[in-house]
Amino acid sequence: MAFETPKITYTGKIKSIAIGKGDQAILLGDESSYPFHLFEGEMPNTPRIAMEVYDVAPEDWAEAALKPFTGVTEDPVAWAKRNVEEYKADMVCLHLISTDPNGLDRPADEAAQTAKKVADAVDVPLIVWGVDNDDKDAEVLRKVAEVCEGKHLIIGPVVEGNYKQVGAGAIGYKHTAIASTPIDINLAKQLNILLGNLGVPDEQIIVDPTTGGLGYGIEYTYSVMERIRMAALTQQDERLQFPMICNLAREVWKTKEAKLTAEEAPTMGDPEKRGILMEGVTAVVLLLAGADILVMRHPEAVKLVREMIGELMAAA
Amino acid sequence: MELIGENVNVMVTKIGTAMKERDAKTIQDLAVAEAEAGMDYLDINLGPARKGGAELMEWMVKTIQEVVDLPLYLDTTNVEAIEAGLRVYKNKRGKAVINSIMARPERMEAELPLAKKYDAGFVALLWGPEGMPRDEAERGVLATELMNKAAEYGIPNEDVWIDPIVTPVTSQQDQVKSMIEFMKMFRDLQEMAPGLKSTCGLSNVSNGAPKDLRPILNQTYLLILEKYGMASAIVDAFDEDLKTFARGERQDITNVVRGVVSGEEPDSGSLPKEQVDYVKTAKILLGHSLYSDSWLQL
Repeated sequence: MAFETPKITYTGKIKSIAIGKGDQAILLGDESSYPFHLFEGEMPNTPRIAMEVYDVAPEDWAEAALKPFTGVTEDPVAWAKRNVEEYKADMVCLHLISTDPNGLDRPADEAAQTAKKVADAVDVPLIVWGVDNDDKDAEVLRKVAEVCEGKHLIIGPVVEGNYKQVGAGAIGYKHTAIASTPIDINLAKQLNILLGNLGVPDEQIIVDPTTGGLGYGIEYTYSVMERIRMAALTQQDERLQFPMICNLAREVWKTKEAKLTAEEAPTMGDPEKRGILMEGVTAVVLLLAGADILVMRHPEAVKLVREMIGELMAAA
Repeated sequence: MELIGENVNVMVTKIGTAMKERDAKTIQDLAVAEAEAGMDYLDINLGPARKGGAELMEWMVKTIQEVVDLPLYLDTTNVEAIEAGLRVYKNKRGKAVINSIMARPERMEAELPLAKKYDAGFVALLWGPEGMPRDEAERGVLATELMNKAAEYGIPNEDVWIDPIVTPVTSQQDQVKSMIEFMKMFRDLQEMAPGLKSTCGLSNVSNGAPKDLRPILNQTYLLILEKYGMASAIVDAFDEDLKTFARGERQDITNVVRGVVSGEEPDSGSLPKEQVDYVKTAKILLGHSLYSDSWLQL
């Protein structure tokens, strides 16, 4: 008797979303199987890599992470262009660090202008990320949504404490909202319900399950993402059938292990290689759990993961 | 279903103060009110009661038995307090029940002899040496350990009240389902040990859910557990709605919930809104769909 590969029967499908402007728009989602189970279903849209840009020069980055961006960290537009032109980023993720009330506390208007300039300067889709402060993010992301009308951005994080304000901006100016919850499948489902009730169309929602870095809780993120995809694809859980985004670079590079120099940790190998591999491995783990967008930092890690995606997609 | 009133609890500020000040009237008024509210047992919860627990439990048992004949659940982790309460307890309308004894060797060895010596029942809490059981199989193992140990001490089956541990559906939905799966095995355990009893802290299932939605979770879980032979529950004595369910007075709802439990897919279009809500809630508790605070709106 010939061997037959056991196959899972799927009853659901991930929704499809489009981001970016005009013919540069990128489609995401639409999977009808578990990640890369191409023998069971389809993954018509390749998972994408967004590369980070900070709106002010980062102060606490490891040397290895700063090096590829020498000369552009003071200029978000130039940084975004380098990511796209030199490092071939699929998307750019602008972190509006300067708006943090515990830091520079720059006003929403100024941040929105920066977002607009970056959006104008590159053809690829733009993600705009706040500072995890419910009130300030509500104010800033509302403004960003308005100023960048027509760019089909992805904006977030949208949380239970500010989903009405940010959600309204997403509806009004046609952007995609990042529904962000703290590594908890029930809360993830609840926020998606709330966004739906508010009137955010399904094709403008992407889920951020909250990402832990390698060695810092990645297994929890993995489990929650895995459960989300199981519910979405095999249990007809309609409010979990959304693409997912993982904001992983900051989690990886803020760890002690990614920052220690060769002098501080002589037994832990070359710090550059170490950081790149930590980021690359984290990204691949999240890909296998179902990530549709990976927010990454180091160009070498991006390269490794892009190759990996290519090979996994070609395996069909 | 037998109901154990949970209201005499040190965690309730007014009651905690009354315990501390030995204010007999406040305690007695509450006990009488619980009895009049139709409870079958009263739970006397002292919490950990590390200091002066023995004196307090002795006083509580005497004080309450002056005005109420109902049997008592003695609820504390302080073993001395349990013994002090049992020593003065008078069996008027039933045995006292130790709440609870965990499936950990040191707890069983310390407390099972008390149950035997004072002819008391005990809540067999399915909490093992490694903590909370992970699934129904581990619950089964812990239950048989407690049952075997009780038999070794010569404690009759009908004095063993298995408590499979209710967890909040908001954060541990798998465990809610696993407790139901355990209850499916409960009848087999009763065949091995005829007379075996069961109990549960029902309202924990709705812990963390929006306040106005807690009752429907409690009521629905009660109906599901009862179907599988759950014999009693520790409840708020003054929750009138819940009591109508426990007394079997809501046959319409009971029928639709049991229908879902048996795998029927009720035609939501033809049911009244109230019944549809119970169907949705049963599906959440059975793990058919994932919990979210807005489950009734889906």
